[in-house]
Amino acid sequence: MLTFIAQRLLYLVPVLIAVSLLTFLIASLLPGDLAYTILGDQATPEKVAALRHDMGLDQPIWIRYFGWLGGILQGDLGRSFRTGQTVLQAVTERLPISLELMLLAEITALAIGVPLAIICAARSGGPFDRFMTGSAFAMLSVPTFLSAILLIYLFAVELRWLPATGYVPFSEDPAKNLRFMVLPALTLALAEWPGIMRVLRSDMIATLQEDFIALAKAKGLKASRILFVHALKPSSLTLVTITGINIGRLIGGAVIVETVFALPGIGRLLVGAITTRDLIILQGVVLLVGAGFVLINFIVDLLYAMLDPRIRHGHA
Amino acid sequence: MTAADRSGALARLFLVAGFAISLSAVPASAQKKGGSITMGLELDIPGFDPLKVGVYDTAALTASSALFDTLTYLDTSGKPQPKLALSWSHSEDFKTWTFKLRPGVKFHDGTPFNAEAAKANFDRQKDPANKCRCAFYISNINNVQAPDELTLVYNLNDPSVNYPALVSSYANQNAAVHSPTAWKTKGDDYNRNPVGTGPFVLKSWTAGDRMVLEKNPDYWDKDRIYLDRIILKPLPDAQSRFASLQSGEADIIWDDEADADNIQKAQKDPKLTVHTYAGSGAAVAAFNTKVAPLDDLRVRQALVMALDRKKMSQALTNGLARPATNPYGDGSWVRCKDDGALPEDLEKAKALIKDYGKPVEFKMLVTATPRGRANGQVLQQLWKRAGANMEIEQVDQATIPPRAFMRQFQVTPWRIVDLADPDIQMYSNFRSGSPVALANYSNPELDQLLERARVTPDQEKRNEDYCAISRLINKEAIWYWTFQNTYYAMSSAKVKGLPKMYSGVIDLSRAWLE
Repeated sequence: MLTFIAQRLLYLVPVLIAVSLLTFLIASLLPGDLAYTILGDQATPEKVAALRHDMGLDQPIWIRYFGWLGGILQGDLGRSFRTGQTVLQAVTERLPISLELMLLAEITALAIGVPLAIICAARSGGPFDRFMTGSAFAMLSVPTFLSAILLIYLFAVELRWLPATGYVPFSEDPAKNLRFMVLPALTLALAEWPGIMRVLRSDMIATLQEDFIALAKAKGLKASRILFVHALKPSSLTLVTITGINIGRLIGGAVIVETVFALPGIGRLLVGAITTRDLIILQGVVLLVGAGFVLINFIVDLLYAMLDPRIRHGHA
Repeated sequence: MTAADRSGALARLFLVAGFAISLSAVPASAQKKGGSITMGLELDIPGFDPLKVGVYDTAALTASSALFDTLTYLDTSGKPQPKLALSWSHSEDFKTWTFKLRPGVKFHDGTPFNAEAAKANFDRQKDPANKCRCAFYISNINNVQAPDELTLVYNLNDPSVNYPALVSSYANQNAAVHSPTAWKTKGDDYNRNPVGTGPFVLKSWTAGDRMVLEKNPDYWDKDRIYLDRIILKPLPDAQSRFASLQSGEADIIWDDEADADNIQKAQKDPKLTVHTYAGSGAAVAAFNTKVAPLDDLRVRQALVMALDRKKMSQALTNGLARPATNPYGDGSWVRCKDDGALPEDLEKAKALIKDYGKPVEFKMLVTATPRGRANGQVLQQLWKRAGANMEIEQVDQATIPPRAFMRQFQVTPWRIVDLADPDIQMYSNFRSGSPVALANYSNPELDQLLERARVTPDQEKRNEDYCAISRLINKEAIWYWTFQNTYYAMSSAKVKGLPKMYSGVIDLSRAWLE
């Protein structure tokens, strides 16, 4: 197991270098020039040239990349030119909010998706199964920004059960914090559960046809025990992958959801950095998010190996 | 004068007097002390140190008007009134302005406010070594002197007859007076820990979430400050910002014409108030008159005549946007009987294009945003009907100024912002040789009018000059105006006492809750 982990960790190095390179290139190739943005309505050619020189933007791109990479290796991700905040400061301030949001969303999505998948698989082809498969398909096609507004309209404006926007830190008032988190998490979960359900349902149907399930049935075990204990674990391999990949989708969804619900998380930081051309923040955040995503998938790999020992020994 | 006339005139006089009394009497009894107000802003505020942020945007301005004081403020008629300055006087040539300052004022950190502190603010922004983007807006000020504790002297490069209305009538990056002790001791951290003399003190600020401002108990004008607390929250999404107002999470929100649906919904809702301010200035565009086909007067006039502003307003803002026929707008003190606006006449436009004889094809810069594109497409359609083909060139917002300065455009959008006096913008937009004289147009008559208008103290004569300027520009069709500037805020009906939103600034510092 240890060699397996070491091997996988080694794979991470080129991936992370590629992430940093891509991040840097995307940020540098964005249309518009940082100097123009900073100078705004005074962007005369002379001032632009002087500012570009000051900021080192007139140097070749690879020199700037290695300069940036060198800083990162020393733990310095840079400082926002607008707020003076360091990238690390900005990220650590906002990361807990996004993590909480994603965790709650993932739990909600699993809580909706897993039981539904099991019920559908148990009676596959039945009216409930067909209804749910159809609804899942419909839900998949509802964009996040639309469901967010609909939820706000229903629960905040009409029923007044939950707040429309805002945030209170968990450390300040956990109950209030959760109240603010319900709608954003639900919005994200609504886009995630259909995928979970569909994948688990089809894996489950396959598992239910295997001999050991027939044996369990023959032994007279209760149907619920067969479904939740015997069939769920072997069927959940794809689910684990999906959950890992979902993190990436959730980060994308968080950008929209945090903007709509005014949550001060990573997504908002990213949107703000893009609109104000705050490249230092943008590069830093994308790099950290990318690295986080790579790490999560690394953990998913490990979970895989734990769920199915065949993978560990390389003959899957 | 007949007896009937006299009694009519008398009646009018009484009516006016009665109205004036009721105006001043009502608020005095209605103003209630206490309470907290939450405002939904459009953007995250990056900070307040002019050296760092360069220019304050609308979100920062709401906070800065509560945290900072300025030398003067504008009353409801647009006239400067004393704030940190008590009185002012000028030299014969309007190039030197002397302000007498309010004694006994202290910054939130206890540092005394005086002429030396105000001068230190100016010197810091003007210092070339600091490379402040904010220095551009004070380029007309040669230097500031502090001959004694409470006297502040501005020496200007160019004359300015209406300077007290312009110098610091709202808390922008140059006008907000910061505590010199604070920026010296806090260094890099000052940006997010601003210290002013204003009616509210920064209590806490969580990036991206909320800024809490609390009433300054030692404020020099504390009897006229009613709220205990102001909470500012960035709510970037227009739909959820409006939902937050409806559900009560926010008491007041920023808005603009792009969100016309919600503004019109709020106008019909008795629980909400829509605050509007019809500002001066306009959304405008410049033709590059040195490049064919726009070097031809007939083409330019045809393009302007083909603008159906009512239809544009309908298409873009549900009819909210107010058409503009001159650069000043209804919010300006400049009023013209005849501003020389060309008629909106499609047939005439067609005839002019036909008369030109060659195909009319050109490109227009458009910001690469949904709103910019919609604007461009509407113009494209209107001009097509007159027989002109405009091609939309989408560019990043930030690349428009440099392209404009280098004259790398045929038509470019621009804006004349709401300011208390037209001189600054008119002079730089139309004086031959100015970097912002985007039309590349030069006319001695126009230059002469601009030079004279800026040094004429008599407002009526200035008015005449500015109207003559408008007639000349409209006739030559070197720029065109589409819509006047209108600024919006929406609040719950219990929010009262919001002053006019000059320059689009929503100043909550003297508001109260019913």
